[in-house]
Amino acid sequence: MTIHIYQIIVVGISVVMIYSGIESLVRGKSGQTLTKLLIRIFVWGGMSLIALFPSFTNILASLVGLQGNINAVILTVFLLIFLMIFKLLSAIERLEQSISELTRKESLEEIKKK
Amino acid sequence: MNSKKIFIVIPAFNEAKVIQSVISEVKSAGYQNIIVIDDGSADNTQEKAKELEVIVLRHKLNRGKGAATKTGIEAAKLLEAEIIVTMDGDGQHDPGDISKLIEPILEGNCDVVLGTRLKNTEGMPFQRIIANKIGNLITWFLFGLYVTDSQSGFRAYSRQAAEIINTRGDRYDYDSEVIREIYTHKLKFKEVPVKVRYTEYSMGKLQKQGFINGVKTFYKMFWKLIN
Repeated sequence: MTIHIYQIIVVGISVVMIYSGIESLVRGKSGQTLTKLLIRIFVWGGMSLIALFPSFTNILASLVGLQGNINAVILTVFLLIFLMIFKLLSAIERLEQSISELTRKESLEEIKKK
Repeated sequence: MNSKKIFIVIPAFNEAKVIQSVISEVKSAGYQNIIVIDDGSADNTQEKAKELEVIVLRHKLNRGKGAATKTGIEAAKLLEAEIIVTMDGDGQHDPGDISKLIEPILEGNCDVVLGTRLKNTEGMPFQRIIANKIGNLITWFLFGLYVTDSQSGFRAYSRQAAEIINTRGDRYDYDSEVIREIYTHKLKFKEVPVKVRYTEYSMGKLQKQGFINGVKTFYKMFWKLIN
């Protein structure tokens, strides 16, 4: 099996990303949850798997029900990115509303004191 | 009704140049309960408003016209308002129209009265008319109720309506969300033609609420539907 440079780079980055995720969870850093870690392992682990074993995309294609293995990869990545963006936008929206609520409460304090 | 129970809510962002004239006009029209919400202005809007002895609240951060309006309505509710009128802080609305807005509520016929600029479009820029009509169609498409001016900030609410209406929109999507709430809670509403004064100053403000902001408002409305 010939190892190419891109495979080493992808696996190296994946290992660092997964390690930092596990470390954050173990140390109990705020914002890190088991769900987030599992997503991280799924995404980076999946990238490493495809980089090391390109034939894995054929299995993925048959699983997803698409004929072309590249199409299957693109579709899966597209769905993942879409889900991540959706989650991010939801989080931003919630933050925006929390900020507005806090700002409102603070400005109404004066009236409540009277 | 005792005029002490009628509150005028004026959200203002960087309106130091005109806020005093807006407040004075409202007072001259016979309304003394005025709540100005300085929405994190970078100029001295707050100080200018305070000089005229009205209630001035300040958002430490700019949260948008919708958020400021909601703060004003919450304040009015705390002060036991029975009728709440909202109007813009840039002087485009004529306080002389307030009586027309509150009349249907005083008569007990309505929960919400919407001031509409599109029943009399005299002096209104053409692109503004088109933009408002598009806004009306989008509001109707997303929320199910067609009104002639879904983006008007000149409105009156009964106490009951103010308690029921629950919005999340911080920016210009707030105005459309109120329409959704009217439809959802089957509130009785009426549209009343109001004058709009398109001065050089207010036109400058309108330019800032141009096409890009319109697209942002649509996106926010749509996002809240699917989220």
